[in-house]
Amino acid sequence: MNRLCTGNDLTGALTRRQILSRFGMGLGSIALANLMGTAKVQADAGLFKQAHHEPRAKRVIFLFQAGAPSQIDLLDHKPYLNEKQGTQLPDEVRGDQRLTGMSGNQSSLPLVGSPFHFQQHGQSGAWISDLLPHTAKIADELCFIKSMVTSAINHGPGVTFMQTGSQFPGRPSMGAWLDYGLGTDNDNLPAFVVLVTKDKGGQPLVSRLWGSGFLPSQHQGVRLRAGENPVLYLNNPVGITANNKRQMLDALHKLHQLQIKTHSDPQIEAQIAQHELAFRMQSSIPAATDLSTEPEYTFKAYGEEARQPGTYAANCLLARRLAERGVRFIQLYHQGWDQHGNLPTQIPVQCGETDQASAALILDLKQRGLLDETLVIWGGEFGRTNYCQGKLTGNNFGRDHHPRCFSLWMAGGGIQGGMSYGETDPFGYNVIENPVPIHDLQATIMHLLGIDHERLTYKYQGRRFRLTDVHGQVIQNILG
Amino acid sequence: MFALPPAQVDYDRQIQPILSDRCYLCHGPDVKNRQADLRFDLEASAKHIAIVPGKPNDSEFIRRIISQDPDLHMPPADSNLALTPSEIELLKQWIAQGAPWQQHWAFVRPKQIPVPAVSNKGWPHNPIDHFILARLEQEGWTPAAETTRERLIRRVTFDLTGLPPTLKQMDDFLADKSPEGYLRVVDRLLQSDSYGERMASAWLDTARYSDTYGYQVDRDRYVWPWRDWVVRALNRNMPYDTFITQQLAGDLLPDATADQILATTFNRLHPQKVEGGSTPEEFRIEYVADRTQTFGTAFLGLTLECCRCHEHKYDPLSQADYYQFSAFFDNIDEAGLYSYFTSSVPTPTLLLTQEGQQAKITNGKEAILATQHQLQQIARERRAAFESWRRTVPGGDSNNGLIPGRIALMDFEKLIEGANQSVAGPIGRAVKLSGDDGIGLQVGNFHRSEPFSVALWMNLPDVKQRAVVFHRSRAWTDAASRGYQLLIEEGRLSASLIHFWPGNAIRIRTNRPVPINQWLHVTLTYDGSSRANGLQLFLDGKPIPCTVVRDHLNKNITGGGGDNITIGERFRDHGLTDGLVDEFQVFHRRLTTLEVAQLHDRKSLNEAIEADSITVERGDQLYEYYLNTSDPEYMACLKNLQTLRDSVNQIQDEVREIMVMRELDEPHPTYLLQRGAYDARGEQVTAKTPEFLPAFPQDAPRNRLGLAQWLTHDEHPLTARVAVNRFWQMMFGQGLVRTPEDFGRQGEPPTHANLLDYLAYDFTTHNWNVKRLLRQMVTSATYRQSSRVRASQAMDKAPRSDPENRLLSRMASYRLPAEMLRDNVLATSGLLSRQLGGPPAKPYELEVSFKPVKRDQGTGLYRRSLYTYWKRTGPAPVMMTLDASKRDVCRVRRERTSTPLQAFVLMNSPQFVEATRVLGERLLKQYGDDRESLFTDLFRILTSRRPTAQERQILINLHEQQIDYFTRYPDRATQYLKTGDALADRDIDPTKLAAIAAVTNTLIVFDEAVMKR
Repeated sequence: MNRLCTGNDLTGALTRRQILSRFGMGLGSIALANLMGTAKVQADAGLFKQAHHEPRAKRVIFLFQAGAPSQIDLLDHKPYLNEKQGTQLPDEVRGDQRLTGMSGNQSSLPLVGSPFHFQQHGQSGAWISDLLPHTAKIADELCFIKSMVTSAINHGPGVTFMQTGSQFPGRPSMGAWLDYGLGTDNDNLPAFVVLVTKDKGGQPLVSRLWGSGFLPSQHQGVRLRAGENPVLYLNNPVGITANNKRQMLDALHKLHQLQIKTHSDPQIEAQIAQHELAFRMQSSIPAATDLSTEPEYTFKAYGEEARQPGTYAANCLLARRLAERGVRFIQLYHQGWDQHGNLPTQIPVQCGETDQASAALILDLKQRGLLDETLVIWGGEFGRTNYCQGKLTGNNFGRDHHPRCFSLWMAGGGIQGGMSYGETDPFGYNVIENPVPIHDLQATIMHLLGIDHERLTYKYQGRRFRLTDVHGQVIQNILG
Repeated sequence: MFALPPAQVDYDRQIQPILSDRCYLCHGPDVKNRQADLRFDLEASAKHIAIVPGKPNDSEFIRRIISQDPDLHMPPADSNLALTPSEIELLKQWIAQGAPWQQHWAFVRPKQIPVPAVSNKGWPHNPIDHFILARLEQEGWTPAAETTRERLIRRVTFDLTGLPPTLKQMDDFLADKSPEGYLRVVDRLLQSDSYGERMASAWLDTARYSDTYGYQVDRDRYVWPWRDWVVRALNRNMPYDTFITQQLAGDLLPDATADQILATTFNRLHPQKVEGGSTPEEFRIEYVADRTQTFGTAFLGLTLECCRCHEHKYDPLSQADYYQFSAFFDNIDEAGLYSYFTSSVPTPTLLLTQEGQQAKITNGKEAILATQHQLQQIARERRAAFESWRRTVPGGDSNNGLIPGRIALMDFEKLIEGANQSVAGPIGRAVKLSGDDGIGLQVGNFHRSEPFSVALWMNLPDVKQRAVVFHRSRAWTDAASRGYQLLIEEGRLSASLIHFWPGNAIRIRTNRPVPINQWLHVTLTYDGSSRANGLQLFLDGKPIPCTVVRDHLNKNITGGGGDNITIGERFRDHGLTDGLVDEFQVFHRRLTTLEVAQLHDRKSLNEAIEADSITVERGDQLYEYYLNTSDPEYMACLKNLQTLRDSVNQIQDEVREIMVMRELDEPHPTYLLQRGAYDARGEQVTAKTPEFLPAFPQDAPRNRLGLAQWLTHDEHPLTARVAVNRFWQMMFGQGLVRTPEDFGRQGEPPTHANLLDYLAYDFTTHNWNVKRLLRQMVTSATYRQSSRVRASQAMDKAPRSDPENRLLSRMASYRLPAEMLRDNVLATSGLLSRQLGGPPAKPYELEVSFKPVKRDQGTGLYRRSLYTYWKRTGPAPVMMTLDASKRDVCRVRRERTSTPLQAFVLMNSPQFVEATRVLGERLLKQYGDDRESLFTDLFRILTSRRPTAQERQILINLHEQQIDYFTRYPDRATQYLKTGDALADRDIDPTKLAAIAAVTNTLIVFDEAVMKR
């Protein structure tokens, strides 16, 4: 076992080991900490006895738009590109940026402006594409960051970087870090839940994105599946009801009690608790995922497709229900934003699937008084090029991957709504003001949850790892 | 850690870990981070100012760590590091004792350690026990009593074979009361085939074994023959030094056998990338790094990855050391991306021939050789026929008649659409290429046994670093260039036939750049031999001197799409931007020299035929022309040669390939990479080992074989310790060093340093005999102890003072690993397939994984978990829930967690539900209504011991409840029995069967069924 967070011993917070040893529990039970309710202290505190500072948010909903939505066609308004339509990307704008092997060897890189109309919205006057009418209506709730920067130019490394702070496999994901640091607010639900839009295709997602890396595996995200069994083998085998499961567990419990009588062993107690919690989860999870109790107006707000399990709209609604129940980190994935070609016909479809439900989620959280304590993030892994990949024809074009700038929005817990942060050049190629590297975004998310990103560490192979590696600065200017 | 500090502070165990963890960051090996020129990793530096031996109060070191002044206090606040009061006390005490210094224990060669004496002479069975007991006695503790014989046979059977003991094995053992009874069991287990499977399953984590490539696209790959190699090697008890030598460098052994080369697949099991648009070099470097780091973790127990970007912060490893290590693993002919459009195996590869295939290939090659001789023979004998042909051959001015075999001509006289332009050419009009718009032909899908030639006029606008003149392929990196191609590379002409670039291809390149801004006539000819010398390039009608770049092609060049020739452009490659092309011709035969000259000047061949007297050289060229175009005997033989080549190629194409290591002839240059970035090359480095470790053996080659010799040399301080520690971990749950991945200064010191050294020394001096080592462990009294926590014994402080059981005053207990939990239910139900090795199996769980795959029917559902198909982006979910390693990177330890999700898997998943039902059914058939016998056996099968009367009664009561329930709901019984493919016996009352199944399903999660006790 690793020596957890040795450096924090003196700073007031207790390590999990210390907590456990004070409660007379052995090593085997440390692992129970989050999902188990055996010792109440764990559910309350996670790794830290208290947060590093007053948290502004209790939980995160990350609406991940996988494949990288085109900022130029959605949030970063660049009329100059329309003027320059068809002309070459100037060398001095490109600088030393490496290109992907997909367009890097093209003989020409013609600039292409957005064919979609932009308007200003809300009191803040945010420029938003007509492709996002619902998002436009909540503009004053949102903080648009237009100066995101990454170093990845392909999806695998890009998404991995955004979720784990490293481009290469092996590190824990953000949700796992938060679960490890903060524990859970709900004994009967996992602290880190993943929802993937069903049947989307596009750039593949991989389960390591919500993995725990070198952290103990109970911190990994639990993917809720659309349909009968939201969690792997949650349901009893056909023919076995809750009643006979109860009988089975009671018998098991009696057998374990006999053992405890002859020799007490915390590991047996842990097993008893594990089975009891599993039994409770068999009802608490379906209760959380069952949307049938939602009133009509919910579906009006989120869209009719929210009735269909596994859609993005249904997952947004589910995210709100999980947030209500105290789930710490709710990670959505919606694939299909990788418009290398046919952007003018494809991107409206993507927006149609996501715009209304994303906005509805914000309003719904607000209405329930949850927005202040819930941090919501919408965005992808990188941006898209201002030039056309492949042939630029009259009404068709595509955009390649672009790491130097992209846009996302944040809202809720501790974020200042109705503002934009950062700026790109008129070509929409380089950031000219307030660049936000991925590690800064991650540091800010941690900060809002009351964690100093430099102090949430885990020692593995002799080194103290953290989500933000050796980087990361909190973006003070967007805090509310 | 430990409560009572011994009077004498132990630098190695108590002080150095503190210095390393809190001080080295700024006062350690890393030059860039170092402050005040002070180092605590070097005795001289530390004692120069900071530490005054014997005088803690005069030591600046102590002053600083107790200072209240934030400017002086160490460690500084912004480091987020701190010292506890007890640590400060310990440091003071150590300095007061004279601050004795030692080299880090793990970097010093283990010596032969005398076995310590103990008071309780009756307890030890072998030397291991002396070390354990001596330490316990030092604390005044006693070891636990020996566990019951039931538990012992269960424990050792799982530990050595990963399976539970059968009832018969238990009965035999319980009946055999002799002192040798247990030893006989151990020997039986070590001899069983299951032993190799059990040991291999841990090695697969270390080797990051996976049946798919990983990263994002994650296609299937064929690597399981390597897994079977591991099982075979372990079952044969291959000495550990041989085991690691073959895996690291089997290809470099003298006269390496296919089996030894196969072992090196170990190095290629890292994830590999195919995502479109990725930078190949970035990922190639990542592969080299992975091999290097896996070597570091698996064999050295060192965290080499720490010095990939900078100097190691804790251990004496520099960034140069890292790249010098990596140079050993950099020297193979590999690509950074595997092929998206084809299923080519990334090179280098080994052809794994099946029985019969090799003989056919050998025979075929002999026949080819004989035919080649025959061809030469004919060439010597046909002069007379040539002379008579010369007298009758008609002259003429038409190329067509003179140069047979042309299958395509593109003259570009017609109007050109799109971005390409029509311009003046050497013959009428030519095309000016945009570089993004290829010009397709309708021909060109040649097999590698087919001779062919391509000729064209071209005019290059500038010196191109890379540009495609023409090709027959689907893509560049996305298809590993499969096909053939003529490129410009650094201004030179480069012609290749490719199965998988770079390792399975032939390529020649002109020695000099070709001229620009002038029309050149270029011809490429190929003779169907699959050899580089079968390729020839001609410039303006004359052969042009070339260098062979690659000469290793043993698989097809067809397939993948892009079946015909394209001029001037390729998918995601550099086109021939602004280049001019004219008179593009394709021939379905190898053109002779004179024909090529004719294509260029349109007269050489005419003149040679018509001339009354010609030079000897021209005469020879004309004879060559005659043989290839007009001599029936020669042409028939040529045809025959092609047929023979084709049939050998066909067999070879069928042979499966596996990724292995093969050293390049010319060493690949390796560079130090600044910040670890693939594109930030620093100085070039050569293959070397770090200075703080033993010297490289003088006579050893500077390659992986030499590295293996260095690693397994008697002098090496780490290899044997790291290995022994991992075997200890497999038997005792945790290693003697509890950070098996880190033997460096940041790792945990061993709980029993002398025992570790004793075993390491003993291991190397007994021929690295693994079975012998394991036998020592499992026959020790230490291993045979009860695992019970003795909380109630007031006299015994051990459990409270040592909650982590570091001193092994009892046997460890923990949940069985994922594989054993699943194999247990398969074995006890009788469903388990005993097939050893073979393709991966796809049990039920795979159809509900994150990347669902179609599950198997029949045997594939019931094979040992070792064989479960492993897909990196969506690994087998039951295994993952039960804490299996993901196998993305090398892991030598699994975390053990306990979550409710595990309860779902064990109680509700079809594999477990089905197996418990089948077990219940078997017992029901055997015992009918004799419930006492039935539940006794059931309990014994699942826990290896007899139930108490109380326990049995609990089961009987549960059974009655279930009978009631299923009697009331017979439909539910029928439904319940349908889980899984195995059919329930129709002759048995479904109610009874369902009730038994439910009881079995309950007992399968009982503590003693899932825990190693």
